[in-house]
Amino acid sequence: MTQEFIDKVSSYLSQDIDITPISQGAEAIVFSTSTHPYLPKTRESHQKFIIKYRPPKRYRHPQIDQTLTKHRTLNESRLLAKLYLIPGLYVPQLLACDPYNGFIWLEFLGEDLPGGYGFSNLKNFLWMHDKDPYNDLVAATLHKVGIQIGLLHWNDYCHGDLTSSNIVLVKYGAEWVPHLIDFGLGSVSNLVEDKGVDLYVLERAILSTHSKHAEKYNDWIMEGFEAAYHEKGAKGIKKFKEVTKRFQEVRLRGRKRSMLG
Amino acid sequence: MVNLNTIPPKNNRDFYIAIGLEGSANKLGVGIVKHPLLPKHANSDLSYDCGAEMLSNIRDTYMTPPGEGFLPRDTARHHRNWCVRLIKQAMAEAGIKDPTLDVDVICFTRGPGMGAPLHSVVIAARTCSLLWDVPLVGVNHCIGHIEMGREITKAQNPVVLYVSGGNTQVIAYSEKRYRIFGETLDIAIGNCLDRFARTLKIPNEPSPGYNIEQLAKKAPHKDSLVELPYTVKGMDLSMSGILASVDLLAKDLFKCNKKNKILFDKKTGEQKVTVEDLCYSLQENLFAMLVEITERAMAHVNSNQVLIVGGVGCNVRLQEMMAQMCKDRANGQIHATDNRFCIDNGVMIAQAGLLEYRMGGIVKDFSETIVTQKFRTDEVYAAWRD
Repeated sequence: MTQEFIDKVSSYLSQDIDITPISQGAEAIVFSTSTHPYLPKTRESHQKFIIKYRPPKRYRHPQIDQTLTKHRTLNESRLLAKLYLIPGLYVPQLLACDPYNGFIWLEFLGEDLPGGYGFSNLKNFLWMHDKDPYNDLVAATLHKVGIQIGLLHWNDYCHGDLTSSNIVLVKYGAEWVPHLIDFGLGSVSNLVEDKGVDLYVLERAILSTHSKHAEKYNDWIMEGFEAAYHEKGAKGIKKFKEVTKRFQEVRLRGRKRSMLG
Repeated sequence: MVNLNTIPPKNNRDFYIAIGLEGSANKLGVGIVKHPLLPKHANSDLSYDCGAEMLSNIRDTYMTPPGEGFLPRDTARHHRNWCVRLIKQAMAEAGIKDPTLDVDVICFTRGPGMGAPLHSVVIAARTCSLLWDVPLVGVNHCIGHIEMGREITKAQNPVVLYVSGGNTQVIAYSEKRYRIFGETLDIAIGNCLDRFARTLKIPNEPSPGYNIEQLAKKAPHKDSLVELPYTVKGMDLSMSGILASVDLLAKDLFKCNKKNKILFDKKTGEQKVTVEDLCYSLQENLFAMLVEITERAMAHVNSNQVLIVGGVGCNVRLQEMMAQMCKDRANGQIHATDNRFCIDNGVMIAQAGLLEYRMGGIVKDFSETIVTQKFRTDEVYAAWRD
């Protein structure tokens, strides 16, 4: 992470707001802060918020860059605001957004995993359990991940970039509750095609990141996905069949994608 | 740790020699590679540092007139006509007098590629194998590109962006396989550029993509891009829609369709966009997508090296954009090669094949030399990596 970006962010936010850089993703830099964007400071000092900043990408044409940054920031904010209201679906709460400069304020989620495995996203969680991958905790967590994706799709939303690092686990007592994050590529869509592609992207991400046990992982996720749909009754079962059918088709298409060159 | 010296070189030599035959698309390449036998390779993870020496690297490209692509049967005929001549020339250049004694292994492209050209080259490989009594190794074309890129640039464990006429993949190594993290969902980037070149009817010599690049440099309105779809889907991308929309624009431009408000001014009817502008916008749009998915893959696997391979990898603009992206990431490094090794060639097949041979992987029966059009990068077990 370059100092230049950090300076830029602190000059934009003014000196009163403290920022600690957490991570640099592909698209955005994530900071944590203890300042709420508009509520007065409370005495509880432990409260934490996330600032997600999409810096301008100098490699691409300024025109493409501006359109994309604005579009994705606004898109993510809109989706988060709508998704937060859906019962049973867990996403971070949106606090504020500035699409022209690429800033979003969110509620802080997750924690550090024990044993130095890093932040509690699904990727690190699965790596932590790499030695004993088939225990009930992993199965239950992945099942819940599937339910989250199922709910998302049932409500006609698509994530667009489902990977194991875009799922954050929050600990409630002994169990881990998955929250979906990073909706920059998300969309509102009732097309089975988009949902099929979404599932395919996730399957491939799991396959390439957690190759050793990917098959079982994907099975568990799909079980959860099925459960979320089946809960909705006969209509849900019908929709589930449509989505999985298209998922198979997309998968076949992907497999064929090696031709010449 | 991997032992690359499993099989000693022939006749107690202290070096290996491999011939590589490549002909999966319109390029026919013959390359000869020499690897010294070094003790450090007996127990190492040094497959990116073999000390390889390119004894010869000859290529002949089947060219078609402007506005036409290469058809499989014509390409295959070209390869059949030139294969023997190229092999003879390569051997003369490398100073190989008696291949029976001097060549350790013959490597050929098993796939992926066009069926007919692949087939005509593998027949040459089989014939040489029987003639000289030298073992054969089948090589995955993509792996050839990756291993060549690693050997030339000495990149140890990079995220690979493989961009060519038929493939667009973002690849990273994990657990003995090169895994595909992102790829195109429909057509490849080179295919997209080639087909647009065909619409513009610009020459295929030296390559359609190169000519588009040169046109793009001359674009008069670089500050205002023509808006094209931007279709990144996670780490995957899709390019057929972009091709369709830019094709439509080009056709409207040639027909002077004044109704098109993107190309012509609404009131005066003045032309706002030139062919060069279209090329520029297409390139900017496509390459921004490529760099974005590469960056995504880098963030996902926590890597900071990128290696660009494949024919489109010669494009200077793409290399520039990738370098800029790497500069903005913590200790980002970019590795790219020039057109000798980026464009399909025989040396890369020899390099990857020789690595496989040194790990003991040879073809035991001719039934294993059947070529295949569909051969994914992650199907190959990379025994030479750790």
